[in-house]
Amino acid sequence: MIDLFTSQLLTNYLLVGAALFALGMLGFISRRNMIVMFLSAEMMLQGVALSLVAFGRYHGNWTGQIFTIVILTVAACEASIAMALIVILYNRRSSLDVTLWQDVREPGLEPSDLAEEAAEAAPLEPVAGPESYPHLTPAGVEPAHPMKPWTERRS
Amino acid sequence: MNGSMILATIGVVLGATGTYILLPHSRGDVKSRNNYILGGVLAGLGLIGFLLLLTPPDVSPNPAPADFSSLGMMITGACFYLFAAGAIGTAVMTVTSRNPVYSALWFTGVIVSTAGLFLLIDAQFLAAGTVIVYAGAIIVTFLFVIMLAQMEGKAVYDRAAKTPGRAVFTSFLLLWSLMYCLAVVPGSHRPPTAGANDPLEDRLRRGRELAEYYRGKGPIETKLVLERALRPTSSLFFDGDHQKPKPNVAGLGEALYADHLLTVEMAGAILFAALIAAVLIANPKPLRPVDAPTEA
Repeated sequence: MIDLFTSQLLTNYLLVGAALFALGMLGFISRRNMIVMFLSAEMMLQGVALSLVAFGRYHGNWTGQIFTIVILTVAACEASIAMALIVILYNRRSSLDVTLWQDVREPGLEPSDLAEEAAEAAPLEPVAGPESYPHLTPAGVEPAHPMKPWTERRS
Repeated sequence: MNGSMILATIGVVLGATGTYILLPHSRGDVKSRNNYILGGVLAGLGLIGFLLLLTPPDVSPNPAPADFSSLGMMITGACFYLFAAGAIGTAVMTVTSRNPVYSALWFTGVIVSTAGLFLLIDAQFLAAGTVIVYAGAIIVTFLFVIMLAQMEGKAVYDRAAKTPGRAVFTSFLLLWSLMYCLAVVPGSHRPPTAGANDPLEDRLRRGRELAEYYRGKGPIETKLVLERALRPTSSLFFDGDHQKPKPNVAGLGEALYADHLLTVEMAGAILFAALIAAVLIANPKPLRPVDAPTEA
């Protein structure tokens, strides 16, 4: 009577969990949008939850699943508080950029060079390429086209 | 330096290069379409290398005469590879997407794939709960905030990354270390062997097997700990028999409310505190009036 969930299968699950954790860490370190950073933190939690459930299944008890339920709870709480914080910060600075929040650091510490990097970043004008968005005409402004407006065309 | 070690190194290097190319430039410059194709191809090759490192789960320890079990194991293995590749691929897309809306949508792919992996290891309640909590509540909240805060489309800070080279190096070095510990050095933290002709010799020890081995051998504290560990409500199976699994939700509820009742209370208290804190933080009332004189 041997359990079919062998240690090789456990290793598989731990590897996938480690990959999720590392990718979440990459997103949390490198992205500057606060929402993407919080999504990456949730991804790290997912990797840990996968490892915990696999360990619980391997050892034949419920502890991993119960701890994963606790992780779900904490993730929900963290998401709600993060959303409230993001709304407050956006109301003050009108931006989700995390490098604008250098003054949240501890007193006595010099700000890093990320603020200068933010100032040096490419301008917001649309550049030709796969990332550029089309510009729509703002509502209420007469578009510059040679045709007659529709109110004159109807009559 | 054996084969799986070389495979792990090549896969990690390929995946790191592809992810670095896919990530936004540190100054927010636009990348050409060829860069995206190259990065996608490299990251896909790295993902294939990672999947080759995983052990195929159809190695049955006791080959049954009927082929139903091996067919089932093959289907299980195919589903495992599908969900693993989906989880890691959508995770890469989540991290590297320029648009935060697309990031949130790719993250639902991570959640669904993880729920599939949960299903494969008999955690049906957690699969459903993960999808409901994350994809149903958290993602919707994130999308609401994105739409609230990012009305004018793509911002500079979405097209620029903070130190992408150093971040990719650190994260993939961590991933390589974990893969080295897990796949290349299997079972390096085994407890001392119980006997010479032990059938559990070449396997990682399970908790209940260790407890059964040490039962009645140690001092009274060890026996107390073992009594707690061997409690019948904490087992996934009836009588410790692997052929008789408990029903998932019933067993999880039994363990949750018999052994971990304080955990449930703590979870409820944390949720309540977070609710009140979120309401207090997001109060639109200003902290202090602007033209009021500040007191020293």
